[in-house]
Formats: sequence, C-alpha cells, structure tokens
Amino acid sequence: MTSITLSGVNKSFGANFPVISGVDLKIDDGEFCVFLGPSGCGKSTLLRMVAGLETAYSGEIRIGDRVVDKVEPADREVAMVFQNYALYPHMSVYDNMAFGLRQAKTPKDEIDRRVREAARILQIEPLLDRMPKALSGGQRQRVAIGRAIVRQPKVFLFDEPLSNLDAALRVHMRSEIATLHRNFPAASMIYVTHDQTEAMALADKIVLLHAGKDMLKHGSIAQVGKPLDLYHRPRNLFVAGFLGSPTMNFIEASFAGQQADGARVALKSGEEIVVPVDGSTLAAGAAVTLGVRPEHLAPVAASGAALGAQTLTRRVSAVEHFGEYSFVYLDGGTPAPLIAKVAGDGGFKAGDSASFAAPADCCHLFDADGIALSHL
Amino acid sequence: MATSPVTRAAGRVAVPVLGLFWLAVTTVPFLFMVMTTFKTQQESYASSVWALPEGLNFVNYADVLSGPFLAYLKNSVMVVVISVLLIVLISAMAAYAFARMRFRFNEALFGLIVAGMIVPIHITLVPIYLMTRDMGLYDSPFALVGPYVATSLPISVFILTEFMRQIPKELEEAARLDGCGPFAIFFKIFLPLSGPGLSTVAIYNAIMLWNEFIFAYVLTSSTSTRTLPLAIWDYQGQYSSNIPAILAVVTLTSLPLVVAYAFGQEKIVKGMMAGSVKG
Ligand SMILES: Nc1ncnc2c1ncn2[C@@H]1O[C@H](COP(=O)(O)OP(=O)(O)OP(=O)(O)O)[C@@H](O)[C@H]1O
Ligand SMILES: [Mg+2]
Repeated sequence: MTSITLSGVNKSFGANFPVISGVDLKIDDGEFCVFLGPSGCGKSTLLRMVAGLETAYSGEIRIGDRVVDKVEPADREVAMVFQNYALYPHMSVYDNMAFGLRQAKTPKDEIDRRVREAARILQIEPLLDRMPKALSGGQRQRVAIGRAIVRQPKVFLFDEPLSNLDAALRVHMRSEIATLHRNFPAASMIYVTHDQTEAMALADKIVLLHAGKDMLKHGSIAQVGKPLDLYHRPRNLFVAGFLGSPTMNFIEASFAGQQADGARVALKSGEEIVVPVDGSTLAAGAAVTLGVRPEHLAPVAASGAALGAQTLTRRVSAVEHFGEYSFVYLDGGTPAPLIAKVAGDGGFKAGDSASFAAPADCCHLFDADGIALSHL
Repeated sequence: MATSPVTRAAGRVAVPVLGLFWLAVTTVPFLFMVMTTFKTQQESYASSVWALPEGLNFVNYADVLSGPFLAYLKNSVMVVVISVLLIVLISAMAAYAFARMRFRFNEALFGLIVAGMIVPIHITLVPIYLMTRDMGLYDSPFALVGPYVATSLPISVFILTEFMRQIPKELEEAARLDGCGPFAIFFKIFLPLSGPGLSTVAIYNAIMLWNEFIFAYVLTSSTSTRTLPLAIWDYQGQYSSNIPAILAVVTLTSLPLVVAYAFGQEKIVKGMMAGSVKG
C-alpha cells in the first residue's frame, strides 16, 4: 500500500514554461526509485509534487489507493530529506526529530520511544541534546534522516541528500541509505540525484528525465527501468550518452543491409560492423549512429588480414593512466575522439595505431531520430 | 588591496584618536549635565558653569522625585511597553506574510507600507488630534498607543520582512511536512528564528518612543497622563530658573536608556547589525 502512481502529470511555472510533461509512472510497494537527469530537468519539481509542496499541476498522483492531489503535505504519510538538511536551527536534535510527532499530538512516551529508536538505528544517541549548528555535515544528514524515520512514513523522499558531503562521506552515507531501505522494506523511496553512480548503486528502478526540447517532444521521461537495463539497453541516444563514464562513443555510419544476425553498418572509415538489431525498417544507406561504450572496446593484438570482423583500427592520440585502468583516445572518423577503457596500463602510446574489437552484443544502433533499434 | 606601512601606521594612530575625540564629543555634555545636577540653585548662579559642585548634593533629585515625576515615569513605561509589544507582534506577522506568502497584491501593499515611512508625522497631528478627541481618548496615556504603533510599523515591517526573506524556504517546507499550518509555522519557526530582527525592532522603537514628544504634547494635557519627555517641558515652566533641577529631570529621564544600554550593549549592537547587514 505504499506504491506511488503518477498519471498524465504535467507541470509548468507560469503559462509558457513547461517543466514536466506527460509523466506516467508507477513505483511499486517498497521500491527504491531514483529520479535521475541533468540539472534543471525537473527532478526536484516532480519529487516536490509527490510531497505536496508543489501544487497546480495537471494529472493525478496516488499514494497507495488514495488520490493525494488535494491532500496536505503532512497528511500524505510522506517524509522528506532536503539537500541542505533543513534542520530547525533553534531546536535540539531530539526536538527536531520530535517536532512532527508533537504537531500530530502523539503521546509523549510514544514520541520518546520512536525518537530513541531512530537515534539508535542512525547511531546518533550521544547527539540528541546538541543543537544543529554543533554537528558535522554527516551528522546533520543523519538527523535529517532520523526526522524522516520517526514519522514512519509510507514514502521516503530524498532530494540530493548527499550532494553537500565530501566524496568519502558520500560513499559511506550512500551505503547507509541502502541499509535504511533494507530496514524499512515496506516503505517506498524516491531519491533524486544527478549523480549516475548513486543512481546505479541504489536504485531498484531508475527514472531518467530529460529537459528542454527533448522534454517538449517526447515527454519528461526518457526511460524507466532497472539500472542495468538502462545501461545495456538504452532506448535512445540521450539515455545512452547520459549513463556511463566516460560517455558512450558515438560513430556516424550508414545502414548497409539486414542479415540474419543483425544490421550491417558501414562506417565512414570503411569498416563494416554487424549490430544484432532489427533494422528492417531502415532504408538502405540511411544515416544511423553506432554506439559502443569505452569499456566494451577490447584491444586486439593481431594486425592486417588476421583481424576479424567487428574491429576498428585508429591512431592513438593520447593515453591517460589511472593504474587500475587507462583511457586510450583514438583519432579519426568522428568529431570527438573515441575512448577505449582498457585494463591496467594497456601498453599503448600516442602515435601508435591500435585495433579494438567491438563485441556485437555490446554495440548499439540508433536511427536518424536517435531512437535505439531493438536488439534481436 | 595592499596598503603601505605608512598608511597602516597612520590608520593605527588615527582610529583611536578619532574614537577618543568622538567619545569626548558625546560624553562631555552628558557629564556636564550630571555634574550640574549636584549643584544648588545658588551655586549654579554663583560659580562658573564649568566649576565642580561643592559636594554630592541630592537636593534636586529629592525635589524632583517628591513631585509628579513617578507618574510621568509610570505613563512612559506603560505606553512604551504596550506599543513595542504591539509593534513587534503586528510587524512580525505582516513581515511573514510579505516575505513568504504569495498573494496578488503582495508587492504593491509592501510598497505602500514602506512608502508610509516618508509621511512626516507633523502633517498627521491635526487629524489624529481630532480623531482622538472624537474617540474620547484625549488626555489619556492610551491615546498615544495608536499613533505610536501606526507610525512605527512601516520601518519595522521593512526591517523584519528583509530579515524573514533570509530564512531558508526549506525550513518552512519541512515544517509543512511536519504538519504545521501558517500560524504554527509563524509562531514555532519564524518568530524564534527572527530573534535578532525582533530585538532590533523592539530596541529601535523603544528608544524612539521613550523620547517621543510631539504626539504626547498634542494628545495629553494633564500631569497625570503625560510621559517623561513632557516632564522636562512641564518642569521647565515650574523651575523656570532652576537649571540644576531641570537637568536632574533630564538625567532621570535618560537613566533607563543608559542602564539598559549598559546591561544589554552586546545584544543591542548585534540586533542593530543583524538588521542592517543585508538590506
Ligand atoms: N518556483 C519556480 N518558479 C519558476 N521556475 C521554477 C521554479 N522552481 C523550479 N523552476 C524551474 O523548473 C525547472 C526544473 O527545476 P528543478 O528544480 O525541478 O530541477 P532539478 O532537475 O531538480 O535540477 P537540479 O539538478 O539543478 O536540482 C528549472 O528550469 C527551474 O528553473
Ligand atoms: Mg533539484
């Protein structure tokens, strides 16, 4: 009974400034859903609409079976954790956590029990008497989460809760949030971030949103799915380019015909690559974009005639070493250099010519509109 | 910017010198006043004005305090306390609405209230006098509360609105999620967090009203209804030539402000700063 359903949701600020368009989305009971997207795409706005802080939208939002469009934020059984924590500066940690329960006239001993329980889970018992300004960023974050826990909400809402923390603490708190989700399996969670690592690490379901012209043309939602589905089967160029770091290599090509094991595409540089997708809707010679992730370009030792199919040979323009892996920048045939991510230091140096295989299953093909062709 | 050592040395000397000069300018008249109160009337005629009194002579204070001075003091305290409480409460509520609520004429109304600051109070004297008389409040200390509150609201609303605009919006939203309506948000979040702004407004207005003369002069006429600034006026008639006695009245009138400043100096300065830093 903690599912969230959005149907036909649109929102604009002022008459001519649409921010969210055509969102249909179902978040299941107990699911951890991440809203991901570039800055300004409306992630926070969408989250705040679920919280009831943003009104005046069209469409319908349900929590469980209840339509909540006209329900006050406090009565929606949601709890929110803000990016800047939003702790009440004039109240102790204990009072910060107890405030909502006191507003709801919960009995005193029940308040005490819940606050202490939350403090125990979050390991902030020694801090209960402190004022927020005497806490570190990570401790404030815990208190903010504690304030959410004590309300025993159906839905937890997080708006970039980790973005004010330093990198090490962020990784630590990320795992604590994952633990929190395991401790409260019945509650569903919506988590807003523009950090794809956070999204991949935490999400049961990612909702990737796009902004601007794409939003107007295709609706706000670019793709919804499990993290690995988005990673392995992006629905369009935007999704393919947004997830993964470094970003997916895109190579202009033309469609050379369909065969049993996939679509044959001819690169401008002459190679032919077979991508196991259904290209039967394409005309011969149609412009397409081939996509291959840097981590899927595998170095090939052989050269000349010994090279198999599915290989690209390019001049190395630069190499970046990170110890565990290296980025090899490859020139030729594309406006931006191709990047290959190879294990260890790879043995490449600038000026060499190097060959890389693109395994068929790891290749993606997008039509002229940027829509991915479905895999066979 | 880099400053040369010479400039810096000059600054090190000039700042304390100017400070001491200012201290002299402000304290000499005050000390002169306090000193003179210890002289008898004859002494004040006989000796030079700058001469020290012959001894600590409290006769002027005894004289003043045996008169109606305490009635004036009681009226002043009552009028100032009631007015300041009303000013703080009303301006804080108005400021919250202007700072945080979206309604159609928000900006226009705010502009209108702030524009009230430029109305000189003197042109309102006659209408206010007539209204007060019609309401049957003439010659009562309570006649002062209305005009005091009204004339102090524009600047107070202005200061507090600026102050409340700085309070993060997320706090309000967190409170809404915690089940607060507008009144609970105001009383439990905004009021406590506006402490420095509220004390600025309270202190500023208390000082202004403690010294307010013209409304008190126009709206009251009997000794039993008048406030301290009029005590000076009334005593001037009574002690027309007794300068030490008049100065004793002035000293007693300013004493509460001096004492308040001595004890609350830190708070007062902080309050004034808090209101002024971001304008
Ligand atoms: N109150 C408002 N009035 C007008 N425009 C707004 C308002 N709030 C947000 N917007 C606009 O709506 C768009 C979406 O804002 P939103 O805060 O939801 O983005 P976001 O995806 O959360 O971005 P970020 O990652 O930077 O937080 C932005 O273009 C923003 O300028
Ligand atoms: Mg945001």
